Amino acid sequence: MRRRFKPSLATSYEFELDLAPLLAVMVKLVPVLLVSSAFMQVMTIETDLPQAVKEAVQKQDDVTKKTSIQLEITQKNGIKVILEEKGKATAEMVPNLSSGGFDLLSLNRKLQEIKSHHPEVYRIELAPDKNISYKELVKIMDEARKTRDKDLKFPVFDSKLNKEVETDYMFPDVVFANMMEG
Amino acid sequence: MGYKRRRPQTPHAATFGLNITSMTDMFTILLVFLLQSYSTSDVQITPEKGVSLPVSNVQINPVQSVKVSLSNSELKVGDRKIASLTNGEFSSIDLEKSDSNFIKPLFSELEKIAKEAKTPEEKEGRIMLLADSALNYGVLRKVMYTASMAGFPKLKMATAVGE
Repeated sequence: MRRRFKPSLATSYEFELDLAPLLAVMVKLVPVLLVSSAFMQVMTIETDLPQAVKEAVQKQDDVTKKTSIQLEITQKNGIKVILEEKGKATAEMVPNLSSGGFDLLSLNRKLQEIKSHHPEVYRIELAPDKNISYKELVKIMDEARKTRDKDLKFPVFDSKLNKEVETDYMFPDVVFANMMEG
Repeated sequence: MGYKRRRPQTPHAATFGLNITSMTDMFTILLVFLLQSYSTSDVQITPEKGVSLPVSNVQINPVQSVKVSLSNSELKVGDRKIASLTNGEFSSIDLEKSDSNFIKPLFSELEKIAKEAKTPEEKEGRIMLLADSALNYGVLRKVMYTASMAGFPKLKMATAVGE
């Protein structure tokens, strides 16, 4: 019987890939990116500062019709969540952890609960004590912004798509309520 | 008679192939890293020395704004030093006697910018606060309050990206 011919792996099958053009591109691209890239990425939290007159006019308009959520933050007691609906206010306390520090998980859950009852509200008012650190304040704003529960979504009407879509954002609009106080 | 010194034999062709595979590997890794850290934002912000920005999960890119930098020791508008702080507190000379939240030098500087407004951010009253994460809200409030009074109501608080 005749043997089947097997092609031998001869050296002629081996070839070297010419990497020189690829290297030339990279040598040009790397300095461009090195110059233009920011090694520290900075983002921003947007907040409209209340101006005295504007605030007074707004308050006058808002007293009866709107729902407002306020967080009173104190280092000693924790976070007091005040929900004001149709002129009636209800307050609930999120006490500090026994180990010290704010109970951010409980705060997130509390805000989730409020958001599910009031999906139309996006604004949250913060009234922190003057000795609260900026770092802690940003953490609280982060908790108020988005839900931790990945399965929980809130309805929002998208005017561009003309339909209701779902979002994990709760209160992205932050306002400092006690900024104008003495 | 001595022996002739033996010369090392060189091949006839003086060309040699440089192995650039490892160099290409290195460049590929570098390129991936740079592309990953490449920011799509139009505005590049570098915090001042002594300002450690708080970490947040916010995903809003910065826009052109009047830059106010607040560290434990100084307050700057742009690159110009406006006031000094001692242990994260403004000195009483810089504050208005009747209103402890009002920073006089900051107000005059921002008012000047607002009056001579040329750029859109100055006309619209956009301000970016780059404050150190260790500072207290009491100090930040003074800056925010004064900025609001000087006609800069749109505040953007700069934060660092991270976990």
